[in-house]
Formats: sequence, C-alpha cells, structure tokens
Amino acid sequence: MFERRMVSAATGRPLLPLLPLLPLLPLLICCTVCASVCADTEDAGGARDAQQILAESDAIRNPNHSFGLTNTLTEYHNGHQTDTSTLQIYAKADTASGQYRNLIRFAAPARDQNKLMLKNGNDLWFYDPASQASVRISPQQRLLGQAANGDVVTVNLAHDYRAQLAGEEDVEDGDRVQHHCHKLNLTAAADDVTYARIEIWIDSGNQRPAKAKFYAESGQLLKTAYYRRYQRELNVERPTETVIIDGLDRQWVTIMRYTDYAWRDVPDSWLQRDYLPHFKP
Amino acid sequence: MRGVAARSMPTALLYLALIAVHAGEVHAGEDDDAAALTLTGASAPPAAAGSAAFFAETAYTEAQPRAGGSADAQRLSLEGSDDVRFAPQWRFVFADRLDLDWSGSWAGSQQVNTLKQAYLSWQPAAELLWDAGRVNVRQGVGYGFNPTDFFRAGALRSVESLDPNSLRDERLGTVMVRAETLWTNGALTALYAPRLARGPDNAPLSPDLGATNAAGRWLISLTQRLAGGFSPQWLLFGTDGGAAQAGVNATTLLGGATVAFLEASAGRSPSLYAEALDLPGAEALRARASAGFTYSARNKLSITLEYEYDGAAPGRNGWDALRAGDPENYGRYREFALAQQELTTRQSVFAFAAWQDLGLRHLDWTAFVRVDLVDHSRLPWTELRYHWSHIDAAIRWQDYVGGATTDFGAASTRQTWQAVFDYYLAL
Repeated sequence: MFERRMVSAATGRPLLPLLPLLPLLPLLICCTVCASVCADTEDAGGARDAQQILAESDAIRNPNHSFGLTNTLTEYHNGHQTDTSTLQIYAKADTASGQYRNLIRFAAPARDQNKLMLKNGNDLWFYDPASQASVRISPQQRLLGQAANGDVVTVNLAHDYRAQLAGEEDVEDGDRVQHHCHKLNLTAAADDVTYARIEIWIDSGNQRPAKAKFYAESGQLLKTAYYRRYQRELNVERPTETVIIDGLDRQWVTIMRYTDYAWRDVPDSWLQRDYLPHFKP
Repeated sequence: MRGVAARSMPTALLYLALIAVHAGEVHAGEDDDAAALTLTGASAPPAAAGSAAFFAETAYTEAQPRAGGSADAQRLSLEGSDDVRFAPQWRFVFADRLDLDWSGSWAGSQQVNTLKQAYLSWQPAAELLWDAGRVNVRQGVGYGFNPTDFFRAGALRSVESLDPNSLRDERLGTVMVRAETLWTNGALTALYAPRLARGPDNAPLSPDLGATNAAGRWLISLTQRLAGGFSPQWLLFGTDGGAAQAGVNATTLLGGATVAFLEASAGRSPSLYAEALDLPGAEALRARASAGFTYSARNKLSITLEYEYDGAAPGRNGWDALRAGDPENYGRYREFALAQQELTTRQSVFAFAAWQDLGLRHLDWTAFVRVDLVDHSRLPWTELRYHWSHIDAAIRWQDYVGGATTDFGAASTRQTWQAVFDYYLAL
C-alpha cells in the first residue's frame, strides 16, 4: 500500500530512492522557506541593481552616440574556416525608445555585395539592389549563416530584457582570463526579440561583459558568446571580438571582429524602408 | 530496511553514473569552448569591397515538350552594375544584363540586352533626392504577385525562369524623373515617365524604350510610420488617358517569427482581355490584391503562403469561354497577360519555401508552387543550390501540370531540368 502511494504524479516513477531523505524533510522545508524569503527580499532591490549593471555593460559594448563599424564574421566548423563575410554597420540610438536603429550594408562576399538590412524597432527590412526589392523579415529570419540578425545589430539589452541578479561566479572571458562576475538572468520584455532568455556574466569590478548564453523559448541553449580583445575604441575599452559557439553543434564557431569604429551620424530620415534604394555609404 | 537499502544501492550507483556522465558532458562542453577560444578569426578583415559588381550565369536546360521527345537549350547571361559617386551630391547608377540563348550550335544564338538602370541621382540635401534616367522602380510587399508594382508592365525582355525573384532581377527600368523627400519615419515620392516610343522593339541590343515608355505614366507614393511602428505605403498611379489607380502596401509582425503582408490596388480599368485584344470594353472598378504571411523557423526554413486576386483577369466563366473560343485570341491574351505580369485568371495561390543550409552547410533549397484556383492547373518549381565563395552550382526542376488550355497546362513544354553555374565578382 505504502509503495503504491509513493509515486510521483508527474512521472509515475516510484519515489523510494528519496526515502533516506525523509528525516531531513523538516530541515529542507525550513531552508527552502528561508531561501525563498531571502530571495524575495533581494528581488525588490536586486532587480533594480541588475538592470543598472546590465545598462552599464551595454554602455561598454555600445558607444553612446551614433557610430559606424565594420563587423567581419568568420565561421569555423571542426576548427576549419568555412565562411567569411563583412558587414558595415551604422547604428543610431532612438531618442524616444532608447533602442538602437541599425543600417547594415553587406560588403562581402561578392554574392551579397551592397545588400542592405535595416532594423528600426520591430521593422526589419532586407533590400536587394539586383531586384530593387525591399522585403520585410522577422527577427527570427536569418540572413547570415549561423549568426542571427540580432547578433550583428547593435542592441541595448537593458531595453529589451528584464534582468535579475542570479549570483556571483568566477568565469573566463574570451581571452581565457578569469573574472569575478555578476551572473544576470535576462528575460525578454517583448516577444519580438531574438532570444527568449539570456544568462550573462558581467565583471563585478568594471561591468565588462565576459560571457553570455542565449536560450530559445523552449529552454534550449542556442549559443554561447565569449567577449574578448578589449581595446580602446571611441573613448572606452570595448570588446573587439565576440566568439559565438553554437548550442547544438559546439564545433560550429563564429568569430565576430569589430574594426573601423567611427562616430557617424546617419540622418533619422534615412532609417526607413523608402531610403534603402538610395543608400550609398 | 535492508531490503530498501539493497534496492537503493543500484539506484545510487545509477545516480553516480548519471552524475559522472553529466560531469563528462560539462567537461566536453568546456573543452569545446576552450578549443573555440583558440581560433583567431580572419587574419585581417577583407578590404571592404567597392560598389561595382559582375555576375555571369551559364545554364543548360533539358526540356520535355508536350509533343514528345526532348529538347535542350543553353544560355549565358552576363550582368554588370555600378553605383558611382562622382561628386559629393551626385551619383551615376548603372546595371545592364545580356542574355545569349542557343540550342545545339552557337551560330543560331539569340541575344537579348536588358538595360536595367542608367540614371543620374542628385541629392542636394539629406532629405531630398532627384533622379533622372532609366530607373527600376519596384513597389510591393507580395512575393508572387505585386498589384502595386505599377512599372512591371512590359518590363521583361527575356524570361529565363518563372521564379519571382528571377523575374524581378531581369527587368527593364523605366525612363523617368523622380523626386523624393524624406522626414523622420516618412517619405513622399513623385515621378513622371514620359512617352518615348510607340511600342516594344525586339532588336537584340535595343534599349527598348517602347516596352516601358509607350505611354506617359506618373506615380505618387506616401509612407508614414504610425502608432506601434505600423508603416503603410499609399500609392496613386496614372497613365495618359487612363483612370488613376490607388494602391496600398502594409506589413505587420506577428510574434518574433511571422510577417503578414497585404498589397492591393484598385481603380477603373478595362478587363485584361479587352486590353489584350484592343476591344472597346467598358471600364469598371477593378481590384487586385495579394495577401499572406511568411513564417521563419529557427532552422533557417522560411515558408510563405500567399493568396492572389486579379479583378481584371477572367473568372471561371470568362476563362472557360476564352479557352473554348478563337485560339488566336486565346494566344494573344496569354502573351499579353505574361508581358503585363498579371495573373492569367482571377485567383491563385502561391506557396514559397526557402531553406538555408539544408543538412549541409552552403546547401540551399528553394521551392514554390503556384496553383490556379480557377482551372486548378499548377506550376511546381524547385532548386537545390550549393555555393562556394564566388561560385554557385544549382539544379532546377519545374513541371507544368494541367489540361491543354489551362493556365499552366498550355505551356509547350511539360517538364524542364536545368543545371546552372553562377559566378560573382565584386570590384
């Protein structure tokens, strides 16, 4: 009788292996309640701090004025280079929303030369000069091999995600240097973002991002990113490379290298679909 | 208790084994990450390419004519384009394509040149542009049918593939003067294309001004971003002596993976059949539309489903009468509908799928099927393409399915296979 009752409702499997833990049950309950109360107490203040930490980390990745850079993506599979592409990226913050708008020109390979991608809030347009066609695409649609569109555009994570402090951990960054980091759990604040959930490790001393993990809504790990090669660009030490490791096939690696940082002001009126046929860098 | 302990022992060992396996996975993951971090990226970023581009395509086609037997054809297409800024406010934009088609020997080859674009652009201010020359103006958000793409009529000199993307790539521009003014989240465009010739010129190297400028045409378009990022585009189009046509393009995002689109135009016009045969038909208010959605999966598969409606094309009764009537009129109508890039009958459905890296890096699969909802004929088309850094190799297949005088069944060939090699060069 006893054995028949001790069955997990969810799985139907017997819970007998947990019997030796029964004497510890009151202690476990006590600890859980305490932890829950403590977590709730931290939550109110911690959430605000986490969002601030994330915003400070965003400011390290992204200059605070309109700027341009060249992003060279190199893809590797099993250690062998399989692809390379070059993008020219123009980013401008929207004073109303605080989020970046991006205009991206494909410079290489030759097949994609002069194609454009525009991201203005929810509007994501792809323009092909061969057909003069502008096609609206969704954040999930990929144009760049392994890298998602959301990987190459400039994004303020603090704008699109709610951050929660998940603890302190020592992790290695992309240069294999160990950092004492805040671990933040980010959950999407809107349903049109590239990733449903992100874990990011930010150096607790200087707010530099060291590592991040990006998840699908199903909880599946989509990719891991390591930030590295910090250099002074546009007045701030910024990561000039991101190493992206695919979540399903860890032998599939993309290195994004950022060069040619420059202050570039793109008029607001150019950041719309109607201007794409006229854009000439 | 001994019994319980004895039963727990294997379970505990199993847990230990699972923990060991999990730890192994973690270590393997860490090792993979460590290996990835030894990669250095491209030794130096490739120099940003200029704006000039060259494209060459060679194709071998094996067709099965309905009459029986087989027929082969070969093609070489060359295309060059550039966009040169020769003064701070001035640019010259050029794109030209030459198609050489032959069957058997080169001696009987046919050449068709398509001057896609050749125009001067002047931008006296960041928010103001003037263009003059042959401009390829393309409007519309639909995939397979674009009722607001008013300058599509007569713009095809050479039809090499029925893939809508190819049809867009291969078309003539229209000689026009265009002005555009922009503001934050909005734009207003006005253009006028004058009449320059009486009708199409089939000479191989002709600029064929009559194909695109046989009548004076004008267009005004207005885009304004509204609340919630919704940015519809409104159009008003007219021809000399014809009634104005109004149009709208709108898209919206449904979640993070789906884009829905609607494209429509309406205005008084004769039926397509009356236009094709120069009949004195009464004008009536007719609408055209395409509406659908594109869903993109995380595995790089995109699927588009589109409903298409052409109020100027014949419905079931009209189409049945046309098929049963004078074969010459039937042929003239079909040719006209193709040249105008209109639907042959009133309703159709278009489904399109594209899958990047289909099981193999650099292997792309594209397919579409167009189904005529009036006579139920259909056209399935598919392509498998592998690409290297500068070269693509592709194999294509298409099948015209339907009765002898149906929309797709009337094609002289039943099935075609095509092998294609593309070469891209950026200068």
